[in-house]
Amino acid sequence: MASVTELNNNHYVQWCPGCGDFGILIALKGALAKIGAEPHETVVVSGIGCAGKLPHYIKTYGFEGIHGRSLPAASAIHLANDRLHVVAVGGDGDGYGIGMGHFVHTMRRNLDFTYIVHNNEIYGLTTGQTSPTSKKGIKTKSTPNGAIEKEINPLLIALSAGATFVARGFSGDIPHLTGLIAEGISHRGIAIIDVLQPCVTWRKDLPYELYQKMIYKLDAEGHDPKNLESAMKKAQETSRWPIGVFYKEERPIYTDEIPFIKDKPLAKQEISNVDISKFVEEFL
Amino acid sequence: MQTINRVNFMVGGPAGTGVATVGTLFAKCLQRSGLEVYGTNDYPSLIKGGHNTYLVAAAPEPISAIVGKFDILIALDKTTVQLHAAELSECGAVIYDSNKAKDAETLVSRPDLVFIGAPLTKMAADAGGEIMFNTVAFGASMGLMQLDFAIIENMLNKIWARKGKKVADANVAAAKAGYEFSTAALKSPFKIKIEFIKREKTMFINGNEASVLGAISAGCKFVAEYPMSPSSSILHLMAGHERDYGIIVKQTEDEIAAANMIAAAGFAGARSMTATSGGGFSLMAEALGMMGIMEAPCVIFNSQRCGPSTGLPTYTEQADLLFSLHASQGEFPRVVVAPGDPLECYEESFNAFNLSEMVQTPVIVLLDKFLSETSLTVEDFRKLNLKVNRGKLMSDGQMEGSPGFKRHAFTEDGISPRCLPGQKNGLYVCSSYEHDETGYTSEDPHMRVSMIDKRAKKFSSIPAEMIAPTFYGAPDDQSQILLVCWGSTKLPALESLKLLSAQGIKVRMMHLRYASPFPSRAVLSALTRAKNTVIFEGNSEAQMRTLILQKTGYYIEKAYLRYDGRPFTPTEMAEHVKKLLNK
Repeated sequence: MASVTELNNNHYVQWCPGCGDFGILIALKGALAKIGAEPHETVVVSGIGCAGKLPHYIKTYGFEGIHGRSLPAASAIHLANDRLHVVAVGGDGDGYGIGMGHFVHTMRRNLDFTYIVHNNEIYGLTTGQTSPTSKKGIKTKSTPNGAIEKEINPLLIALSAGATFVARGFSGDIPHLTGLIAEGISHRGIAIIDVLQPCVTWRKDLPYELYQKMIYKLDAEGHDPKNLESAMKKAQETSRWPIGVFYKEERPIYTDEIPFIKDKPLAKQEISNVDISKFVEEFL
Repeated sequence: MQTINRVNFMVGGPAGTGVATVGTLFAKCLQRSGLEVYGTNDYPSLIKGGHNTYLVAAAPEPISAIVGKFDILIALDKTTVQLHAAELSECGAVIYDSNKAKDAETLVSRPDLVFIGAPLTKMAADAGGEIMFNTVAFGASMGLMQLDFAIIENMLNKIWARKGKKVADANVAAAKAGYEFSTAALKSPFKIKIEFIKREKTMFINGNEASVLGAISAGCKFVAEYPMSPSSSILHLMAGHERDYGIIVKQTEDEIAAANMIAAAGFAGARSMTATSGGGFSLMAEALGMMGIMEAPCVIFNSQRCGPSTGLPTYTEQADLLFSLHASQGEFPRVVVAPGDPLECYEESFNAFNLSEMVQTPVIVLLDKFLSETSLTVEDFRKLNLKVNRGKLMSDGQMEGSPGFKRHAFTEDGISPRCLPGQKNGLYVCSSYEHDETGYTSEDPHMRVSMIDKRAKKFSSIPAEMIAPTFYGAPDDQSQILLVCWGSTKLPALESLKLLSAQGIKVRMMHLRYASPFPSRAVLSALTRAKNTVIFEGNSEAQMRTLILQKTGYYIEKAYLRYDGRPFTPTEMAEHVKKLLNK
C-alpha cells in the first residue's frame, strides 16, 4: 500500500509555475494512497498535451499514448488485466476534441476505470488555441475574431451517454478533489471527473479567484446524486459552477459479462498449449 | 468414358439465395470423398443486382485455381442459365428449377448439355420447407456424379446438428429428393463420377478462417475490430468462439480505437490483434508508429481490396504493399508478411504473434479479398505443431528479483527484457515520446540515435530461413524463366506452372511472403541466376518490383499486372509466359 511519498518520483515537472495540473497530480497521488493502491498495480494512461505528461510525474506504471486516444488504451489495459487500477488523464482538447468519439462510447460501456479531464478551456501545449469547452466568443490565436461555435457540455454528454459516475472538481480545492478521485476509483464502473483547471499562461481571464468566486459544492446544497434528471439540470447550470458528484449509479460493469476472466485476468492466462480441436472440427 | 474424380462446378443466383452455402456443400462433399478441392466466390462485373457465384474445382492432386470450363452448373435463377451456359464443357449439366426457368433449354443453343429441370421449390416444400430449394439442387448435382449418399448425409447432419434433428432430417430429405431426381433423369451415366478415396482427413478452409485459427492457437486473447469487408468474417469468427477460447472480442467505435486498444492490450500482456482493410488500416497509421516506438507487440491483419478510398469494396487487389511498409511517420521496424494460401495464413498468423513478442514490434499480415474468401483443402493444422514463443517476457518471479529494471534497456540484439504492469520492480511509462531506457521522455541527441538504432537492430534476430522466399517448379539450372509473385498470386501461379509444364516449358517460381524484413540475399541470388524473369502482381505500379529494386538493386524488366479487381487466371499467366519466351 503506497503512501503519497512513495508515489513521488524525481522527474522535473514541465508544467508552468502555478498551473492547475499540479493540484490534480497531488490529488491523484492522495487518492491512490487513500484507497491503498499498490504502485505496481496501478496504470496511469494519457494521450498528448500538458495533462498528458502526468504519467511521468507519478511512480506507477504509465502509458502515454497518442493525442486523443487515452480512452481506448485505458479500456484495453483494463480488459487485459482487470485487477489493475487504471486511471486515464488528459486535457479538454485531448478528451473532448480529437477524442470525443471515444469519450461517448467509453461512457456507455461502463468499464471499471476512472477518467480525469484537466479542463482549462484552452489548448495549452500548442500555445493557446480555442478548445471544445472554450465559451463562444473567446478570442484565441486561432479565433482572433472570437470563436463562432458554442462550447460543449461534457458532463451532460457523459450523463446522456450512460456514465455511472459523473463528477466535477476544482484543481484549487485539493482535499475535495482527492476525495472525488478516490470515490471515482472505488466506484465500480466508469467514473468521469471533469476538473476545472486554471491555465495561468493562456487563460489569464480565468484566474483562480474567479473559480473560487463561482464554484459551490453540490452536497452542501442537498443535491441527490441518484437523481439523473437533477444531475442533468445541475450540469447545465452556468450562473454558478457546481462541483462534486453529479450522478452515481450502480450498474453491472462490462467485465461482469465476461465469465472467463473471473479466476484469472486475460494477460495472466496460459497460452502455450491452446487446443484448437473443437474449431478444427468445423473444417474437417 | 467417364472422368473419375475431376470436376469444375459453378452455382449462381441472386444474393441471399444460399449460393455460397450450396458451393460450400458441394466442395465439402468432394473433400470428404478424399479429393483436393478449391472453392472461391466470384461476382461477375457485367451484371448489377447482386448476381453471385461460387466456383469449385476438385481433383485427386493439389489444385489451387479453376482451369477450363465448368462441368456442372446449378442455376438458382434464369439469369444464371443465360449468363453462364456458354461456360459449360462439352456434355456438361445444368440444374435449374423447372417451374422458374421453364424454357431453360431454349435459352441456349447447346444440344450437347444435360438439362436437369426439377421442380426444386416444390420438392423442397415436400421435404419440409421451400427455403431448402438450394439443398435439393445440391442433391441433384451429387446424384449426377453418383457420389456416395452416406457422405452427403453425414455432412448435412453435422452442419445442421446445431439446429436440431428435425432440421437436419429435412435437409437430408431435400438432398435425397434432388439426388434421386437427377439419378432418374439421366438417360445415360453422366460424364463425371466421384469415387471415394481413402486418405487422412483434410480441412477445407479459407484465408480468413485459417488466419483466425492461427491466431487462436497462438494464444491471441484480445481482438478489437471495426467491421470492414473483406475482413469482417474474422471479427465474426472470433466473436463466435470467444467463450470457447477465452478471447475478449471488442467491436470498437472505429479503427483508431481498435489500433490503440491492441497496442495497449499488448503492453498489458495479452496477445492482441485487429483485422481491417485499406480504409481502416489508413486510420490505424498513427497508432502503428506508436506501437513501434513503444515496442508494444500486436498484430494487424489487412485484407486488401481495391482502392483508393472506397474503391471496389468486394474485389481483390495487392496494392497496399508499399503503404503497409511505410504507413506512419518516422522510422521503426515492422514485420510485413503476405501469406499465399490458407495453410500459409495459418502458419504466418501463428508466427505473427510469436514475432510480435520476440521482436516487440507490430506485425502486419497482408491478406486480400481473394485469399480471405478462397478455400482449399489443407492438412489438419494440428499436425504442424507450432510452438508459442513469448520472447524476452519476464515472469513475475524474475521481476521480483530485478530491482532497477529498465524496460527499454540497451542489449546486444536491441531487444530488451519485457515486464508487464502488475509486476514488481518494473514501473515505467510506455511512451509514444522518444525516451531513455527507463521510458522517461528524452530529447537528448545521443539517446535519440541510440534508441533508433536499438529498435532497428531487433530485426537481426529473425532467422533468414523464416523469411526466405519459396521456390516451386523446375530446378534452377533447367528453368527457362523465373516467375516471381507474392501473396495470393501464388494460387493461380501454381496452376499456370502445371499448364506450362504440360507443354514442355520449364518454369521456376519464386514466391515471396516477407516484405519486411526482406530476404534480400536469397532474392538477389535467384534473380541473378535466372535466364529470364517476369513478375506477376495484382496492382498497377508493380509495387513488389519496386521493393525488390530498392532492396537488391535488381530491376525486373517484365511485369504483368492485373488491377481490374480480379485474381489472375492460370491461363492468362501461362499465355503471358509463353509470349515472353516467343512460344
